[in-house]
Amino acid sequence: MSSAESDPRERIDDRATVRPGFVRLTASDRPGVAQPVPERDIPQQPWPRIFAGAMLLMLLAVGAWEWRMRAVGLEAGDIDDGPSAWAEQRRRVDAGESKVVFVGDSRMLFDSDLDRYEALTGVRPIQLAIAGSNARPFLTEIADHSRFDGLVIVGIAHTSFLGADAGLGKGALERYRFESPSVHASFLLHRTLSRAFAFLDDRFRLSHLVHFLDNDWRAGVRISTAERLWKLGVMRDDRQTWLWPRIETDVRLRDHQREAWGIGAGRRPPPIKQAAIELAQRELRDAVATIRARGGDVVFLRPPSDPRFRVFEEAQLPRAQAWDALLAAGGVMGLHSDDDPVTRELVPPEYSHLSRACATVYTDAYVRALAARTARVVLRAGAPPPLTPRDCGMPPADLASSVQDRSSPAPAEAGAAITSGTRP
Amino acid sequence: MVFNSLTFVVFFACVLALHSLPLPWTVRKVNLLVASYLFYAAWNPPFVILLWVSTVVDWWAAKKLVSVQGRNARRAWMLLSVVANLGMLAYFKYGTFLLDNFRVLAATIGLDYQPPAFDIVLPVGISFYTFATMSYTLDVYLRRAAPARNFLDYALFVTFFPHLVAGPILRPTELVPQFETPRRAKANQLCFGFALMTIGLFQKVVLADGFLAPPVEKVFDGVKVPGMLDAWAATLAFGGQIFCDFAGYSTTAIGAAMCLGFAMPDNFRFPYAAIGFSDFWRRWHITLSAWLRDYLYIPLGGNRHGPARTYFALLATMLLGGLWHGASWTFVAWGGLHGTYLSAERFLRGRFAHWRPSAAHVFAFGVLTFALVHVAWVFFRAKTFMRAWQVLRGLFAANTDAVPILPAIEIATTALIVGGVVAAHAFMRNRTLESVLATVPPPLLAGGWAMLAFAIVIEQGSGNAFIYFQF
Repeated sequence: MSSAESDPRERIDDRATVRPGFVRLTASDRPGVAQPVPERDIPQQPWPRIFAGAMLLMLLAVGAWEWRMRAVGLEAGDIDDGPSAWAEQRRRVDAGESKVVFVGDSRMLFDSDLDRYEALTGVRPIQLAIAGSNARPFLTEIADHSRFDGLVIVGIAHTSFLGADAGLGKGALERYRFESPSVHASFLLHRTLSRAFAFLDDRFRLSHLVHFLDNDWRAGVRISTAERLWKLGVMRDDRQTWLWPRIETDVRLRDHQREAWGIGAGRRPPPIKQAAIELAQRELRDAVATIRARGGDVVFLRPPSDPRFRVFEEAQLPRAQAWDALLAAGGVMGLHSDDDPVTRELVPPEYSHLSRACATVYTDAYVRALAARTARVVLRAGAPPPLTPRDCGMPPADLASSVQDRSSPAPAEAGAAITSGTRP
Repeated sequence: MVFNSLTFVVFFACVLALHSLPLPWTVRKVNLLVASYLFYAAWNPPFVILLWVSTVVDWWAAKKLVSVQGRNARRAWMLLSVVANLGMLAYFKYGTFLLDNFRVLAATIGLDYQPPAFDIVLPVGISFYTFATMSYTLDVYLRRAAPARNFLDYALFVTFFPHLVAGPILRPTELVPQFETPRRAKANQLCFGFALMTIGLFQKVVLADGFLAPPVEKVFDGVKVPGMLDAWAATLAFGGQIFCDFAGYSTTAIGAAMCLGFAMPDNFRFPYAAIGFSDFWRRWHITLSAWLRDYLYIPLGGNRHGPARTYFALLATMLLGGLWHGASWTFVAWGGLHGTYLSAERFLRGRFAHWRPSAAHVFAFGVLTFALVHVAWVFFRAKTFMRAWQVLRGLFAANTDAVPILPAIEIATTALIVGGVVAAHAFMRNRTLESVLATVPPPLLAGGWAMLAFAIVIEQGSGNAFIYFQF
């Protein structure tokens, strides 16, 4: 007899554990008594053989799925971005592993080439930009909660810095502040598996793929951009991110991607309130002052966007009130892609993010521009020669006109076409 | 750690390997104990101390309950255990809630009290292991069970990782005896345990997290006002989500324990086929409802002191049961609704004791039960009463400013999954999973199992915590 059953005074229910209808008794059938050891029956089946058969079938199915995903264009070694990947890089800032940190939204993430930066300067920056986020909370966090005294390069889309919160990057800061051992271990295991399996991609989860069946069937409801997007980027271990090659080469996917930004949907850009602008300017000023007080500095970048996107951006908030006012308020130097003869020639294939080759050209251009303006960026001896827009390779045929548009003011008809309010 | 994480896959493989080694039974139990502490510490290591405190306090309290003489002395030791356990629960789970309410109360009488800012982290699963350890001392106090003979068995009962953070809430008499004799799963047990784990993880990863959570979040966490279609779709989706999430956890836990050679009790019995609310609570979170009945409802008087006392006991039990789920008045409202449902049912059963309903009536009662359970879920899921009212008005088409929220594909997948869940519950109402699986041809079982496992793999999952962890 068990110790827990050994007291003669105890009241263990000893009724039969099976009742008509083959329903087991549970605690709900035995009020006010000690519950007995549960009985669990094993169905009369050859379970080891069933298990072996199931595992074999499952492995075959997973193998077929892996083959299919590779055919679609996924590749092993492309890790999913996420809070843990970001937190890992953020901890590198605390460890003082680099004197240059990138903060920003998806344009900074996709349009910066860490290899090129390193080749030019000998310094490999830490990539902290997050797609769909607002750089401001991250800049503030580095100012207030680190001892970083290097150069923070903030890359922003037109108005993303004026957002109310961290946007899609919210979870990253929380994960950095507390990451349980279990979550961290799962992240490391997932990354290890991602190096072998291409199908491990957040954008190709079963429940996500199902959303592509819905072509805005329901009147008044538009599938959100996040759910509508196919894969947009390819990411390596230190968050070096490129535009997914298929977006560059597959016209159908590229057009889908453009459409996902809301092109032609008749939407108006959301207005920006003056209070939001003033709050952003105030927080920027404080963050810059804090970082400068300990010997660091902050510069801004405005990566390129398609001319048609620029029209939309200007309609939302003119550059003078957004970019120019922000730099003036923060007292920081910035490089706007419209102002540089090289970067203004770069055309994002899907309106918002540069191709892989163009990201290298863009990085080359802004590093050289920064080196000419601040002593914190120094070209090393033997740095590779400058790149030109021709190094992007030939743009797809229908982008050629966009390239030409760059040399003249944006056409009015383009403005009518761009009506997206989507945060890139 | 959570069952639906890669860390758990590695952890469980190591535990199974260790458990299968030809080591003395005591050594294997120590392995399980250490593994269980690791399982808990993998979330937040310092909170293992709470587990130890709870374990040690109840171990000594139970020993004293046996050795001391006199009613008052026994009661004092029992109260020590209850106060220590509920004290920890009150501080960690309800500390902020109590302070906030005190501040509001003070403001109503003109006092501007600003409590100091507390940042209390809720230890995962504290409600579950607190109830499990309390049942140990309470069973000893009530002379339903004798204390465990050795500390190792008792500590393992409290800490055993399959049930530690989200139940089923075990009683000592259900588990401690299993630790007294060497256990190792036979091949059939091991493989069927894996099958149960696959079913549980499919429910959690694919159905709850993958398909049902997004429409729920869009409606309940959004700012748009839902119309009738969106409100019902989101509410039904939440009913499906919380079932698949929690029943999925319980099934995985039962499967994990079975792989190690242990038996755990059923925690769900196809609740959406319930006819009436007392039937629902005999099918939903069985181990919690039985715990509340044995240690709260019956001590409050149960049905032994007349109708008024019975209704009071019912309502009090369900209100506290609601609060157990979360430190928010919306949970209390959910519990209050269920208390009201149960009281009304009890009243009507007494009033119409001789009425024998037809099959059509029984079906109608089943539909009514399902609908009212889902109305109550609105309070359970909504973060504020304002949002709950908006969704409730949506359910009854009373929102004049409603806008479409959910895409058609999410309404379709919700209808498909929830429809499937309800149909399965109706079919399984008087059956067990085991009895049905025994009749299925093995190739079909292998194919079905492979499909579930494949769906889990390609859904990938993001390691979202089980909903009930927060309780």
